[in-house]
Amino acid sequence: MITDPLAAVLTRLHLGQPQDLAAVCAQALGVDGVALSLTVAGRGPEAVWSFSQASAVVEDLQFTLGQGPGPDSARTGAMLTAGDLLADTERWPDLRAAIAEMKLPVRALYCFPLSLGAINVGVLTLARTRPGALLPWQFSDAQALAAALTAWYLGGNGAGLRPEPDSTPPLELNRAEVHQATGMLSVQLGVPLDQALLRLRAHAYAHTRPLRDVAADIVGRRLRLSPDPDTQSAPDHREE
Amino acid sequence: MARQLRLMETFVELADSLIEDFDVIDLLQRLSTRCVELLDVSAAGILLIDPHGDLHAVAASDENTRLLELFSLQHDQGPCVDAYRSGKGRVNIDLTDPDTTEPWARFAVAARESGYRVTHALPLRVRDRIVGALNLFTTTETYLSEEETALAQAMADIATIAVLQQRTLNDHQNENAQLQNALNTRIVIEQAKGILAERWYTGVDQAFTGLRAYARAHQLRITDLSHAVIDGRLDTMLIPRPAGVPAAPPVHAPEAASVLDRDGWPTDSITPRPQPYHITHRKPRSGSPREER
Repeated sequence: MITDPLAAVLTRLHLGQPQDLAAVCAQALGVDGVALSLTVAGRGPEAVWSFSQASAVVEDLQFTLGQGPGPDSARTGAMLTAGDLLADTERWPDLRAAIAEMKLPVRALYCFPLSLGAINVGVLTLARTRPGALLPWQFSDAQALAAALTAWYLGGNGAGLRPEPDSTPPLELNRAEVHQATGMLSVQLGVPLDQALLRLRAHAYAHTRPLRDVAADIVGRRLRLSPDPDTQSAPDHREE
Repeated sequence: MARQLRLMETFVELADSLIEDFDVIDLLQRLSTRCVELLDVSAAGILLIDPHGDLHAVAASDENTRLLELFSLQHDQGPCVDAYRSGKGRVNIDLTDPDTTEPWARFAVAARESGYRVTHALPLRVRDRIVGALNLFTTTETYLSEEETALAQAMADIATIAVLQQRTLNDHQNENAQLQNALNTRIVIEQAKGILAERWYTGVDQAFTGLRAYARAHQLRITDLSHAVIDGRLDTMLIPRPAGVPAAPPVHAPEAASVLDRDGWPTDSITPRPQPYHITHRKPRSGSPREER
């Protein structure tokens, strides 16, 4: 499903070696620039890493102006492509004007949301100096990368919440019972969905259990998690 | 004759839905229900492929956990995986025949335990690409005729069109983006189901029943309603509990909750409250042939 260069990138990510990730991603995906912006603790998306100066500037412009496929993608959770920014006169006029004025070598943007249902953690943006559509392999590789980054950052990485690399493969995250348990936990703990999922994964990790098993126990009401993660003395596991 | 009439009604209904700004999951679910009626099968479900090449159920004729689990078992094995990989449909698979079911014994056992005897899997095709599968089950030893098989494939084709016709923000009507959107929409619904199940202290199946009933009664897209539940724009006390869900307090809740809900509403209240004004109501579908079951 994914190409070998991207598989190598994902392996690096899993091994916890995200140095120069942006440059490596750009090369693997065959594009001129890559930028990642994350939504941290309720604030709007902020650029975390990028490759190519132009890509970094455009990323900044988009979120400063609040205009562009990146902010739209982050807000709606939908993939967005701007195959030719200069020809696109309808959408994002300020962004287009700024790019033209600064003579930035960015002509096309492709945005992939880092989302899991209603949880949006950010957006991955690919940039090219030439207009046009992505090739099918580029598109599916970018999707796979976005899914892997979603899993990575939902594990708390990058936000400084948990230093250890997360080993949950994206597939494990994509289970109905995991999403149901996330919803249930968010009510039990009175926290947003992303934090509920973080707790769920932290519990699975701490008890070395598969995520879906823990989720099934929550959905089956065999397990409840206590509202405060810091009160570790309180039993986290209660049979009913 | 009666069947032809139903068939016509179904196609009119589905075609009608495709013109509107439709909710893909809701449409696929209607389509699954119609499959059960038209093909005289016991259950139907629609699975879509994710970027990793795994199948996920996004809609079913009967949204119970047991049936959904049967679809979810096929993320890596089963007749739907075969249909996806080969691009060819396979009907009239005898689940009781050990030779037939040998390649995916785990799935076959689970299907039999759920009472199913025969299954069918048809690919969701778009040009030379397969984007998912339509899966049918019967509890009796009845088989699809050639004509019925063609009809089943037609339903699978409609499902494909529905997935690829969703109106997204995209300028390019990219197939991957459409697929991803349908899959992600399903996740939103699962998350909302969890929230409602916890609030009501009930099962996720009943939570879904309540969610869907409210969406249909108020002409809302189930996806929009799910989003509203998740980000708190909709007071979930507005959603009537489906029949059979007791308005009893959660076992772990303090005594006070026997009278008032956590939001402060009486738990047994079905008093009409102001309509949520944040959600865009769809205009009623004109001439919809009949109410969804």
